[in-house]
Amino acid sequence: MTHDERLAAIRAGMIARKVDTLVAIHDGAHFIETPNPVFVLGRFKSLGPAAVVLPKDGEATLIVTPAWDAERAAETASGMRIAGADDVVNGIVAAIGDAKGIVGIAGLPFAAWGIASRLTQALPQAAAADDVVFDAAAAKTADEIANAREATRIAELGYQRLLEVARPGMSEDELAVELRWYTKTLGAEDNFLLLCAGARNPAVAPSNGRIMQAGDTLVAEITPSYRGQLAQICRTATLGPASADLKQKYSLLVRAMNAGIGAASPGAPMAAVCRAVNAVLEAEGYGEYCHPPHIRRRGHGLGFGSIRPGDVSLDNGTALREGMVFMIHPNQHLPEAGYLLCGEPVLLTADGAEPLTQQRSALAEIAI
Amino acid sequence: MHTMQSTLLVGPADWDATRMPKDEFLARTVALWRIAPAAAGVIVYGDRAHHAELAYLTHFTPKLEAALALIPRVGAPRLLVGGGAGMMQAARPLTFITGVQPLRNAGATVAQWIREQSGGGRPVLIGRPYMPHALHQEIAGALGTIADKTADLAALMRRKSPREAAAIGEACASLDAAVTAMRQAQRSGAGVTATVLAGEHAAHKRGAQDVRTLFSLDGGRTLRPFEASVEGAIDPLQVYVAVRQHGYWAEGFAVVTASSNPYVRGANEILLYAIKMIAPGRRCGHIARETNEAIAPLRSHTLTQHVMGNAIGLALEEHPLIAADSTDVFEAGGVYSLRVGLSDARERTCFAVAKEILADKGLSDDSYAAAEKTMGLESLVALVATVGSFSMTCLTAATFRIDPPAANPTPLAE
Repeated sequence: MTHDERLAAIRAGMIARKVDTLVAIHDGAHFIETPNPVFVLGRFKSLGPAAVVLPKDGEATLIVTPAWDAERAAETASGMRIAGADDVVNGIVAAIGDAKGIVGIAGLPFAAWGIASRLTQALPQAAAADDVVFDAAAAKTADEIANAREATRIAELGYQRLLEVARPGMSEDELAVELRWYTKTLGAEDNFLLLCAGARNPAVAPSNGRIMQAGDTLVAEITPSYRGQLAQICRTATLGPASADLKQKYSLLVRAMNAGIGAASPGAPMAAVCRAVNAVLEAEGYGEYCHPPHIRRRGHGLGFGSIRPGDVSLDNGTALREGMVFMIHPNQHLPEAGYLLCGEPVLLTADGAEPLTQQRSALAEIAI
Repeated sequence: MHTMQSTLLVGPADWDATRMPKDEFLARTVALWRIAPAAAGVIVYGDRAHHAELAYLTHFTPKLEAALALIPRVGAPRLLVGGGAGMMQAARPLTFITGVQPLRNAGATVAQWIREQSGGGRPVLIGRPYMPHALHQEIAGALGTIADKTADLAALMRRKSPREAAAIGEACASLDAAVTAMRQAQRSGAGVTATVLAGEHAAHKRGAQDVRTLFSLDGGRTLRPFEASVEGAIDPLQVYVAVRQHGYWAEGFAVVTASSNPYVRGANEILLYAIKMIAPGRRCGHIARETNEAIAPLRSHTLTQHVMGNAIGLALEEHPLIAADSTDVFEAGGVYSLRVGLSDARERTCFAVAKEILADKGLSDDSYAAAEKTMGLESLVALVATVGSFSMTCLTAATFRIDPPAANPTPLAE
């Protein structure tokens, strides 16, 4: 799929939903868990609040704040009129002008109140149109897939760096900052880097000032973004030798992950992937740990644009199709070992899920 | 200044009682009741992108998911942090508040909390402008209309304590270290990305909590965030650097260059002139207008022409803004960031004209009129002739595949 084909699909969706003008809004706070319809439409990662106004049969307008960032937007959002603005809501109202018909809005639930409340006042009749944008972005474009592959390559190099530099006496923050900086030198413009360590981690969490110690289990979700496309690897390493028990538990997670990867195929519901992961763990007596509060999902979509196909969870009935990119990670709290991370980004192909990584997750032991 | 927001904050943000004792936070809370005298409690929202108010009252920086602080008039505050129960262990070192709990069912939780407060007053909200629409709907659904006091708290935050000033001083030192490292990297032949990242690394090595950079690929005309690696070197390289340390920001523009630049000298002189004018009680608008007059006959850069500065602290941009139409005044104890950018209208016009005639095979009436006004007809003719001559050289070299001599590489290769 190309970007132009995606835009055509979005326009087709507008017609099907009887939307005459689509407004996509994003407040500029980029986050792995929140979709960005402006990025889907304009391929532009904004510094501030931004919007796209797309008539069903006319030229789209990309509204950019701050106004001085408009030229950068023009480099990526080819085919759109670029409007630099000091205020995104005023820019939207001006771009809509006196256009008649039904207005649909995408991105409103995630926009900051200061923007969303004014927008709903300015467009009181507008209906939610998130599905119009994100249904068409459930599968990635060829460019996004290429970017996901590059982001994965950077993630794997980042992990190698972690294995080289992590040592007792270093703080979690210090390690996280170093890895984030290093992946930037490799071309990642952002990195969702969850990293923590401990004798028995209750979860994976953002780093803090804790000083790592010999014997710690270090867990990391390394998630670089390359040209706005995230990819993630989930890894676990020990500072010093790992116990036989930990190795055995980790191999169980790897088996669960491989079962999930094996279950992902075109036409299968996402829930089937989650069930396959859970089945391996349930067979070993960990059934109670396969559900909240211990675990909510076994993976997720990857933004920054669309986060479809959504979570790898039992309640996600989304039918998988070719071109979807998502995480499969049976990250799991086990009573004997604490929280362990194990996961790969995959591309769904006609033959099934293709891990984008060169090396699949394996428990690493850092010599100290 | 706008910078690119990160999806997750990773820098050091633990609460350090020796740097910012609990008593300082408690004094801030006491002041809080002056702006909300009838409130039973205060609900404070913060997320990765906007959390200055939350940090001011709790020290907490939400690295991952949003947080709500519930501060009662009587009793201990609570901090509700997004994420599961397992995440709380990582959150606790970031605040002096001992009651750190997962943020779940926000509407029902805050409604229950306010019922538990004595006095029966209404709560007030801080941080509403940044709150996601859906979360606000949930809280408003549970509590009804709720007054927002974000601007009132911002007024309390303007005057920095000695400890706050010290933290900003530390951020300034890291900012200096970043720019120094950039200059060293450029001198050693590093490309744009390597130069900028050398600066970021230097600030991180000094313990910076966050470092944001923008740089220019077109001689300072526009600035951009890091999007992809740029291998080639540029001299002069215009950069913007913002460094956060111990919670507090410092920012600055710098021109990284091996040679002396008259525009940089001019900008520095005007900046010093503006700083000398600042005094408690002086109007921000007055300083902005006087500075703009000092810039003439050059023009203020696009990035600085409307707003040439602002207060700075826990947020990169705090109020007041230093803009020509501002009626706010400078305050004793306030910390401000001033930005002076110069733009040569003739040089900018050359770029715009060259770009347009090459892309559109001619100039629009508006562009022609603007160019003639700025440059005069004679210079405009010379500019068009120069663009034509350069294009002919390029077309010849490209058609006949003539490479520049190895000993004389083209300065426009990048």
